[in-house]
Amino acid sequence: MNGHPLLEARSLTVRFGGLVAVDAVSAAFAPAELVGIIGPNGAGKTTFFNALSGVQAATGGALFAQGQCLTGAPAHRYARHGIARSFQTPRVFGELSVAANVGFGLQFAGRGRPASALLKDETSILQLIGLPAQATLPAAAVTPSQQRLLEIGMALATRPKLLLLDEVAAGLTEAEVEAMAQLIRRLRDELDLTVIWIEHAVTTLLRHVERVLVLHQGRKIADGTPSEVVRNPEVVEAYLGDEMADE
Amino acid sequence: MKRDWLILIALTGWALALPHYGSDFAVSLALSCLMYAALASSWSLFCGATRYLSLATSAFFGIGAYTSALSLEHVPFAVAIALGAGVAALVALVMGAAVLHLRGTYFAVLTFGMTELIRHAISYWEKKVSGTVGRVLTVVPERDTVYLAVLALAVLALATAIVVRRSRFGLALAGIGADEQRAQTLGVDTRRVKTAGFALTAAFAGAVGAAMSVRWTYIDPVTVFNPFIGFQTVLIALIGGAATLWGPVVAALVFSLLAETLRLQLPQLYMMALGLLLILCVLYLPGGLASLRLPRRRGAAR
Repeated sequence: MNGHPLLEARSLTVRFGGLVAVDAVSAAFAPAELVGIIGPNGAGKTTFFNALSGVQAATGGALFAQGQCLTGAPAHRYARHGIARSFQTPRVFGELSVAANVGFGLQFAGRGRPASALLKDETSILQLIGLPAQATLPAAAVTPSQQRLLEIGMALATRPKLLLLDEVAAGLTEAEVEAMAQLIRRLRDELDLTVIWIEHAVTTLLRHVERVLVLHQGRKIADGTPSEVVRNPEVVEAYLGDEMADE
Repeated sequence: MKRDWLILIALTGWALALPHYGSDFAVSLALSCLMYAALASSWSLFCGATRYLSLATSAFFGIGAYTSALSLEHVPFAVAIALGAGVAALVALVMGAAVLHLRGTYFAVLTFGMTELIRHAISYWEKKVSGTVGRVLTVVPERDTVYLAVLALAVLALATAIVVRRSRFGLALAGIGADEQRAQTLGVDTRRVKTAGFALTAAFAGAVGAAMSVRWTYIDPVTVFNPFIGFQTVLIALIGGAATLWGPVVAALVFSLLAETLRLQLPQLYMMALGLLLILCVLYLPGGLASLRLPRRRGAAR
């Protein structure tokens, strides 16, 4: 790993006109870390993700993948550097079969990248995410929660080192959320994948991650273990106080 | 896929035999049909898959026609066609760099604007620089040579479409059409794929223009950059089904027959029939005529 973090953001800033959606956020992510990102609505979580995956060009700061500067590069280069993501609303290729959706990533970013046996081909990936029975169905025909799993499968097909998950548990039942958390843990444990996970349901997230970043109005206000973060007065005031009271 | 090749071979054989028994009228009808089959198939190859609606076909067609008119005195017909394809592809690379980051209406309008720009630039150059109003082609190949050349281009366009649909390049084009940003996050270099696809389409339009220019013996910008060529290509592709392989070919056949039977007697009726067909297709058959028998294909599609 030549001493560099897997992914490092330095003073990353995204501005939309007068609005600063992400305000000079610095963070580094090490191999096989399981990190959560929380923050109230409009805190800039998804925009931060978009910048980390190259979907949204940063207006300031820099991004490095294993020491290599990716600032301003198009999204496909991030994918080829092993940075994969899911989208909040599943964006599967509805007309293609579930297996072909997974095959897409294997044909492009995943092509020629080192792969563990779990990410060998469509079959093994579908096995991993638990959709082998749906392989031949059109992706538009499977349930929304299956589409969320497929989103992850598509990202895994790029054979990533780092996986960005944007609210993959939103709208799932209690049992499905638990299964999703198990899957994410498994990806980290068995594939040594770094996972950065945004979730709106804070309590769920805090139970499963080892480190939490808290964003508030585009700024990073805390970065530590879940138990540290929930005791952080700034976090409690900005966010957790009323949110926790709600739940 | 094997079936597609068999159909292509059968159609080619039929078209090859036509000049030997058909009348002059039949051959000229077949020629216009082949021309639109080549244009619409190659248009669909890029525009149908990616859903980037290009109205620049007449620009590339005209560039090809001019290239061949200028070079035909010095080089053989086949080389003139290749040159036409090459120049059109080069122009498409430049044009693509300027407009391929736009989508939807913006892309369509800009490609049309650039087509007009090219037409007027060439008209201006003709008038002011070379002092001519058009080009008289003195060396022209025989009727059957032109027919065979356009037939070869149509077959090549369809063969390319068959191959591309099964290739990574074709998958990338389809991914761009379905969700461009998603395709990009899965590793598709969308800019390069789009530019290459656009240039490939342009090369075919340029080649067809180069081959067809000799039919007119006299060309000027108004004839060869006629926007109608571009519109008709798009209409044929959309009405036939731009996402399919054979839809554009079937529609090209229907259109050529319609054009020849109606245009001479009742030109207005032809245009009205065209417009009506388009409206009906957009409203009731968004997948084109080809979707009338699609249920079987869906499973086989991938």
